[in-house]
Amino acid sequence: MLLGACLQNKMRKYFLVITNTWNEILTYRLSFILWRLRTVLQLLTIYFLWSSLIPHQKTLFGYSQSLMLTYVIGTSFISSIVLSTRTHEIGENINSGNLSAFLARPIGYFGYWFARDMGDKLGNITFSLIELAFLFFLINPPLFFQTDVIYLLFFITTIFLGIILHFCIGSLLGMIGFWSPEVWAPRFIFFILIGFFAGSLFPLDIFPKPIFNLLQFMPFSYLLFFPLKIYLGQLSVPQIMQGISISLVWIIFLSGCLYFVWRKGLKMYTAYGN
Amino acid sequence: MIISVSHLSKYYQVYKKEPGLWRSVSSFFARKYETIKAVEDISFSITEGELVGFIGPNGAGKTTTLKCLSGLLYPTHGSISVLGFTPYERKYAYLKQMSLVMGQKNQLWWDLPVIESIELYKEIYNVSDNEYKKSLLELTELLEVKDLLRVQVKKLSLGERMKCELLAALIHRPKVLFLDEPTIGLDVVMQKKLREFIKEYNKRYKATIMLTSHYMRDVEALCKRVIIINHGKMLYDGELLELIKKHAPYKLIKVILKESINIKRIEQLGEVLHFSYPEFILRVDHKKMGQAATKILEEFPVEDVTIEDPDMEYVIRGMFTK
Repeated sequence: MLLGACLQNKMRKYFLVITNTWNEILTYRLSFILWRLRTVLQLLTIYFLWSSLIPHQKTLFGYSQSLMLTYVIGTSFISSIVLSTRTHEIGENINSGNLSAFLARPIGYFGYWFARDMGDKLGNITFSLIELAFLFFLINPPLFFQTDVIYLLFFITTIFLGIILHFCIGSLLGMIGFWSPEVWAPRFIFFILIGFFAGSLFPLDIFPKPIFNLLQFMPFSYLLFFPLKIYLGQLSVPQIMQGISISLVWIIFLSGCLYFVWRKGLKMYTAYGN
Repeated sequence: MIISVSHLSKYYQVYKKEPGLWRSVSSFFARKYETIKAVEDISFSITEGELVGFIGPNGAGKTTTLKCLSGLLYPTHGSISVLGFTPYERKYAYLKQMSLVMGQKNQLWWDLPVIESIELYKEIYNVSDNEYKKSLLELTELLEVKDLLRVQVKKLSLGERMKCELLAALIHRPKVLFLDEPTIGLDVVMQKKLREFIKEYNKRYKATIMLTSHYMRDVEALCKRVIIINHGKMLYDGELLELIKKHAPYKLIKVILKESINIKRIEQLGEVLHFSYPEFILRVDHKKMGQAATKILEEFPVEDVTIEDPDMEYVIRGMFTK
């Protein structure tokens, strides 16, 4: 009981960071809506591309039309959960010296940014749901619904892992701010890499086998492709276990790197000042 | 002793950029560093409830010292203890009892109403609901910011924002407060208001305050004790009045004449700083002051005489240019 109350007390500050981020999004409604519009347009393009490539009742690369369209719409929705982030502000935060404001306060830096991520995700998920509702209303896509509870549980677990993995990568890129003011170039390359290798344009298993095998050992596919494949029920339990293990290894490795780089950067920051 | 600093030095390694394409390419591989001694061998201690002014020109090392004290920088040499903590370790127990306000940095959420930031700080510092209500009420009254709390930070004027920054920084009632240029860029009226607030806060809560400022008026109005540094070295630590006595053992006699006189006659009495009829200002040694004043009154056609202490700004400028 006491521990619970204590924990609740500790969490309240992060909760407020979430709600403040949400309020911030509402302040910039227009730019946020335009950002979402871009996502919707991308989704529609890919959607109609695939629906014309795969005729009804036919399959292509082992995907029926409904599976492929579920995949396309699914990645769009999951990317609003997994890929929406504020970690791109970390580099700028360090560079401008605003990091000092955090160091002088009793709040965890990464806890703060993770909470900010959550607020951002909340905004994106809300809008994404509204968009999807419209989409259903307008084009009524033939979707596949997973009903197996085991698969759904695995699906949720891997989304959660994807969120953490993406946070690690994003924060690690933000750490560049300690050493260089050019935090945007690497971020941009990463953005493109994600767009491609996470499977947001097409399912990765339509790649040739050797390339696909290689991709399985990279962290990117575990952000979107892997959870969706589970949702579609196309992976066996051993395959799921292997995927979860690989993403766990990546999370451990990247958070280790993050810790190391943060220590090093902070040491430099507090040595040279800003 | 709330703050004690002993033999603090802080050196920076600054990367030296060479001009020219070839040199900048080669310096990419073999960087040259220059050591800059921002602070060198400074020692002082401050007791509870003191309000100490920290003076020096740009780049003297004031901000560096404050950053060392608040744990943002670790010292190259020497040791610091604040409230019994080593600031650089940044233990939450320490951070909860201190606050750092930088006049040139915005620490509030830019796009949100002020109150949102303050409520976040309430949670960050674990302030109980009752204390929070009390502090908020008192501080909003003292700072006169009641109407600003619901306004977006970006819509505030600089002075209003600074008041809100102070409010946010003090919501947890810090025992130690570091103010770095709190009045920078503000107009005279706002400067005065903030000064009064700082003084009142110090008195009411027995908070220990260290304040840096460019404006000598801030220091004159607020601080009994000053620490003066230049080029990272400490020049003076003590009472402001003593400083004036020690470094400026003279008075200024300002005279307004009824009719013109020969300047040579005044020069015998002391150094003439300014002469343009009907006014002249004479700088006279402390000890000879009485004698000179009598002589002026007796021998010159005087309309009005005032005797003043030298301007503090003038005294300190004199110290820096030595």
